[in-house]
Amino acid sequence: MLDEATSINLDEHLARGGPAAQSFARLWRQLWAQDHIPPELLELCRLTFARLHGDEVEMRTVNTFIENGGPKAALRQLVRDDRALYDPTLPAGWRPVLLFAEYYWTDAQSIPDDVADAVKDHHGEAGLVLLIEALGCIDGRIRSARCLRDLSDFRAAQEFAHVE
Amino acid sequence: MSNSPRAAGPGTNTGNVIRDSMMGLVPETVEEIIRLNGHVWRDSLVSASILETLRLRNARTVNCVFCKSVRYDVARADGLTEDKADMISDGYEASSLAPREKAAIALADAYLGFPAGISEDAARRVTDAFDDDEIASMMVSLMTFNFTSRAAVSNGGMPEGPLPITEVSVIISGGTHN
Repeated sequence: MLDEATSINLDEHLARGGPAAQSFARLWRQLWAQDHIPPELLELCRLTFARLHGDEVEMRTVNTFIENGGPKAALRQLVRDDRALYDPTLPAGWRPVLLFAEYYWTDAQSIPDDVADAVKDHHGEAGLVLLIEALGCIDGRIRSARCLRDLSDFRAAQEFAHVE
Repeated sequence: MSNSPRAAGPGTNTGNVIRDSMMGLVPETVEEIIRLNGHVWRDSLVSASILETLRLRNARTVNCVFCKSVRYDVARADGLTEDKADMISDGYEASSLAPREKAAIALADAYLGFPAGISEDAARRVTDAFDDDEIASMMVSLMTFNFTSRAAVSNGGMPEGPLPITEVSVIISGGTHN
């Protein structure tokens, strides 16, 4: 019996999808083992998306792909409370990434040039590209996990109705 | 949206559209993205026409002008005609698309929603039409189509008007190896 699906354990749920699922799992692991954008910052992006989706399951999920335990608890809480963007404790270069993530989630067409330029200024052109790839994977996994949880709930309700 | 691309490609001309795009700037991920795209099209557990239905529904929602203009050769060979492509629109429920194709669109819309999630009605239609392996395969495909199309939009430089419909081969974006 698998735990309920989240962006973190999604690969276990999708393994039955064949070689593409295995490839997506490898890509996911690579996002947490690169040097362009700090993994702790990507984790704050994941929490930002969880907040925007209103996804409590995702919010309380621990990211086991980060070796050092991830961002400090205080930073995680700031993101959860939607107070991170203008907090003075946010490391330099992290604010434009979180701002970019919020525009990305709302509509990728809405990302202002100055926000993208600020990401490039701090993390380089390759950092911007890695960020774009990572945001797509993170949001996609949150979306997939939500759909799988709903399908699981639907099946459980059907089985219950059948027993009744 | 930016009028010109925010990140240029690596300046290569390998014949693979992903490796020669901005994604070529990140060597840690680009080869896996190419393999992923190849696996999605070659090893999917649903037909190429169902995959193309998912891809076009995503392209329309994300408003990726490039993605909307592309037709994959394998999907056309599998019966995804232009008439069918035109039906993947707001009025798809009343169209002559097959129940399985309509269920695939319902799954895509659930995935693409704000917030994402499957209603009871959509869940019934999806589980009636597809088994668990096929659903898992389609979720991976949706994630792949969605993150690559949003990457294209995020990078800017997208034409405003529609482009001519262009058939492309899986080989130019999925590589030739597994």
